Amino acid sequence: MQEVVLRGRGIVEGCCEGEALVSAQPISFLGGVNSINGKIISKNHDLYGKFVKDKVLCFPHGSGSTVGSYVLYSLAKRKLAPKAIINQKADPVVVVGAVIAKIPMIDGIDIQQIASGDIVKVDAFRGFVKIVKLRR
Amino acid sequence: MHLTREEERIYCGEHGWASQMCMKILIQLGDLFKADRLIPIRSAHVSGVSYKTLGDAPIEFLKVLADAGGRVKVRSTLNPQSFDPDQLGKKLPEHVRKRQQAILDQFDRMGFKSSLTCTPYYLGKVEKGWHLAWAESSAVVYANSVLRAYTNREGGPSALAAALIGKTPNYGVHQSENRKPSILVHVEDPLMNEMEHGTLGIYLGRILGDRIPFIEGLKKSSSEDLKQLGAGLAASGMTNMFLTEKTYSKSREPIEKVSVKAADIRKTCEELSTNPGGQLDLVFVGCPHCSLREVKRIARLVDGKKIRGQLECWVCTSRYVKERAMEDVKRIEKAGARVLVDMCTIVSWTEKMGIKSIMTNSAKTAYYAPTLNRADTRLASLEECLKTAFRG
Repeated sequence: MQEVVLRGRGIVEGCCEGEALVSAQPISFLGGVNSINGKIISKNHDLYGKFVKDKVLCFPHGSGSTVGSYVLYSLAKRKLAPKAIINQKADPVVVVGAVIAKIPMIDGIDIQQIASGDIVKVDAFRGFVKIVKLRR
Repeated sequence: MHLTREEERIYCGEHGWASQMCMKILIQLGDLFKADRLIPIRSAHVSGVSYKTLGDAPIEFLKVLADAGGRVKVRSTLNPQSFDPDQLGKKLPEHVRKRQQAILDQFDRMGFKSSLTCTPYYLGKVEKGWHLAWAESSAVVYANSVLRAYTNREGGPSALAAALIGKTPNYGVHQSENRKPSILVHVEDPLMNEMEHGTLGIYLGRILGDRIPFIEGLKKSSSEDLKQLGAGLAASGMTNMFLTEKTYSKSREPIEKVSVKAADIRKTCEELSTNPGGQLDLVFVGCPHCSLREVKRIARLVDGKKIRGQLECWVCTSRYVKERAMEDVKRIEKAGARVLVDMCTIVSWTEKMGIKSIMTNSAKTAYYAPTLNRADTRLASLEECLKTAFRG
């Protein structure tokens, strides 16, 4: 297959490869994600019932309460955090959460190019995402 | 971003780990948002105080900061915790009370005021044009829109970092050019009460993204109405301020325009009421915390009445306001309601207290309660809430 490379801006440094979990909707970490098990619990959310653990979590941007940053920290301490975060447009709640939880993060990516289940390589040092294997 | 020599020394760790970590957070944010420098702030307000929303991991983070000598550099206040220690605390397991206290202890060690309210603006003056670093999204919108102070929408940790450094990156709504509206919202039908203002906030938050709206049609709105509007806006969206006819004169530059009709408000209110007719366990007002004026109004409305059956009625405010309204508080308590302080219902342990259904005048609470409290909701005006809760 042809490799697809998407360029953005590295925000929190780091490199990883993992399975994408993609949402078309913003995520509110407070109230939207259970900090004990990492499950998405906002009703009507397109990722409702999914777990963020070890996923490359792709969503447009954060929303909702600022306490959301600590939810990311809490998830990281429990080893339930996403492997990386890809945003269309970064917002402070998610950025600070990624900084203190040490989760590699990139923004400025057209996340519609990525589908849940794709295997993607994230290089947040240089600010790009490579889709290495499309979902079957 | 330009750093002073002193700031560079802090970044390199010369002032210890706590200051270094805080400086890293501020600089990351500053770089991200293309700030030119750090600017001094008048006050900081930190969210993320309730053990229920924080969980255990952040306690370690706070303790490490306090152990490493982290101390506030400016007036710094705290958001609510997860229960009122004098009233509901005894209903909760000891480990919950202990963990909550552990969080408060760490903040205390760092020099925070134990304000424990989401309305720090009722506790001390905030002047127009002051730069602040506030978390608590409803207070951010209130500060920018009603008080005309300047604060970005901080996260719990970034406000904490700003409190410990005494500065914040200069970007976003700290700069006047970023405080202009990009969308005109015309409210066609007059809003009838505070609940409808909050509902408008939820409706707009969903469609605005991070755009600043100029909202026409709020000439008769009180500051408490605008508090509800801001709380709703911030709950469902990223907007951190709005402008009204009082704070902005309409410019001639053409901008996108949307209209909001009474039917839009009604439909949003219906969506936010997951249990419009069923049994109720709790009637709750005070999200965001009641002002002194609201406490007095509630006292007038329930004076001489009695609460119905097994229903609970909570009025949440700050300890500061409660202490200044003791006569009104007595009247409210005589009618059978509780006036609770230091706590926020949506970050409290309602589930553990058997509360499955909540009636409220706060659109923000109605928006969060189904997920945060696993409770059904009924959204109505303050007057209707109190009519439902009390007889006589």
